[in-house]
Amino acid sequence: MTAPVLSVRNLHVAFATRRADLVALEDVSFDIAQGEVLGVVGESGAGKSVTGAAIIGLLEPPGRITAGEILLKGERIDNLPPSALRKIRGKRIGMVFQDPLTSLNPLFRIGEQLVETMTIHLDISAARARERAIELLGEVGIPAPEQRIDAFPHELSGGMRQRVVLAMVLCTSPELIIADEPTTALDVSVQAQIIALLKRLTKNHGTSVMLITHDMGVIAEIADRVAVVYAGRIVEIGPVREVLKRPRHPYTRGLMGAIPTLTSDSDRLVQIPGSMPRLNARPPGCAFNPRCALAIDQCRRERPPLAGDDSKVACWLAGASEGSASPREVLS
Amino acid sequence: MSQGPLVEVDGLWRVFDVSGPWLNRVLERRPRRTLTAVADVSFAIGRRETFALVGESGSGKSTIARIIMGLMPPSQGDVRIDGISMSSAEARQKRADLRQRIQMIFQDPYASLNPRWRVDRIIAEPLRAFGLMHDRQEIEARVAELLKLVGLDPADGRKYPHEFSGGQRQRIAIARALAANPEFIVCDEPTSALDVSVQAQILNLMRDLQDRLGLTYLLISHNLAVVRHMATRIGVLYLGRLVEVAAPSELFGNPRHPYTRMLLDAVPDLDMTGRVRRPVEGEIPNPINPPKGCGFHPRCPYQNERCRRETPSLSAGDDRLVACHGVVEGRI
Repeated sequence: MTAPVLSVRNLHVAFATRRADLVALEDVSFDIAQGEVLGVVGESGAGKSVTGAAIIGLLEPPGRITAGEILLKGERIDNLPPSALRKIRGKRIGMVFQDPLTSLNPLFRIGEQLVETMTIHLDISAARARERAIELLGEVGIPAPEQRIDAFPHELSGGMRQRVVLAMVLCTSPELIIADEPTTALDVSVQAQIIALLKRLTKNHGTSVMLITHDMGVIAEIADRVAVVYAGRIVEIGPVREVLKRPRHPYTRGLMGAIPTLTSDSDRLVQIPGSMPRLNARPPGCAFNPRCALAIDQCRRERPPLAGDDSKVACWLAGASEGSASPREVLS
Repeated sequence: MSQGPLVEVDGLWRVFDVSGPWLNRVLERRPRRTLTAVADVSFAIGRRETFALVGESGSGKSTIARIIMGLMPPSQGDVRIDGISMSSAEARQKRADLRQRIQMIFQDPYASLNPRWRVDRIIAEPLRAFGLMHDRQEIEARVAELLKLVGLDPADGRKYPHEFSGGQRQRIAIARALAANPEFIVCDEPTSALDVSVQAQILNLMRDLQDRLGLTYLLISHNLAVVRHMATRIGVLYLGRLVEVAAPSELFGNPRHPYTRMLLDAVPDLDMTGRVRRPVEGEIPNPINPPKGCGFHPRCPYQNERCRRETPSLSAGDDRLVACHGVVEGRI
């Protein structure tokens, strides 16, 4: 068994404020294996993006890692000096963000940006880099790449820009891609194209992906495993089919029932009462307990550990409430 | 009260002039350029019905909503609400009376509430603006009632919008819309800015309110699953034209127009049924220079010479309206 491409161990992230440290991530641990797509799903403010930013060393101050380790192919990267991290970022770890315009410089032709990325990180001549850029643009599905390479970002549609970003990420053959809401800004039909593309590229290149999204549908389409994040902690992690079809954590169940689908026929959606607690108002015990219909005394006192083998869940009642098959039946 | 439909949209067109400034046009010999946002759209919404318009960005959904609300004049065609024309000069007085019977809920509850006003003042604004109530105690009682109606505490009226989460703000926006006892509410992407668990709360609330108050909704959304859950009838827009109008069970069970089919195939398969789907091809053409004939023909696998030449009009099938030569000719 080879070492995982990315290994996050007991990661804690806090934002220092005048009053107190606000804990954004608490004891987050997960691995991403070679060629695996890990979906990280959660609502706004759950800590998905902070996890991604912590891994690539792009936490905005006053945010900082307060404990834990991040290992890339067995080497620690969380304690590297900024200059060393800069060599990893963009080379060994690629990033895709929600809005492709934030990743592309509006003043430069897309070809120039691709060539620059390659000449900085790889030992390659500018002429060879340009050839490679045309190849990559073709691979990500840009029609007539030898002409489009000289286009400016504003001349391309949203979907085409995200394709360019994918080409830019791939040009250094990274081991890991962190994609933060890569399809959220796109229309459904374009989203479907980008998902299919991402799926094909990761398969062909054997790249591991950490896919951060709030959209369970995207996870179902592309992820191998999924981690559900709630209030700064992973509450459930496991193979995607397992988690989506038989969610064990009450939050995951509620979430699955809350999503209207094209096939369900229920009149009412499952409703999780309330909303996720703010950083400074997390309840003691399990952070979900005030919204959980099943909460017992223990849930209000003690924090449940993330336990299990292949599929892990952080809930005191995980053993007790299993067996109820459909997420839509629970909580309603 | 007449028994006809509440809202009738008749041959609606909206053309925007997107040419450069006059001097540039003259000096650079550039022609006038126009963008047809809405082309020949007709539909009717019955009382207590939820009519949904779906489409991707630039399909004209929001433009139609604005024209219906009277926020923008149509280039051609007419909107009648309860038989009163929204654009003719004779109906001006009647239109003023009509205003309080129609309301709107917007997508972004962060932008639609005045941050400097307390919630009770925000909700009371329609009461004051329409001169429905003058007595302070009466207004206070009505605001408290409205807050309870949308699931908030009457004491919340003393707070400012920033003290509320996105879902709660959308509840406030709904309370404001309901203040003047409207019959018809235009909801423009009411849950797109919200997390799924909160989205479920708002969608359930909207349905409850419809049942209790006998409301009629026009729901604008890009989310097909939301539309399927809420609507009694759905109109699918492509490049400003309605391509198919049907009840949800017909539209989702047996989509006829090739664009509707493509759109449904693009929705992520959350239930992981593994249904076979045709990959999405191409992108929406530039609406400034739309294709001749049927707007969808460059992406349509069934297109023929007639589709390239002649724009299909919306014609009645057995259980729906569809604008496609192929369907009418029985080819599809």
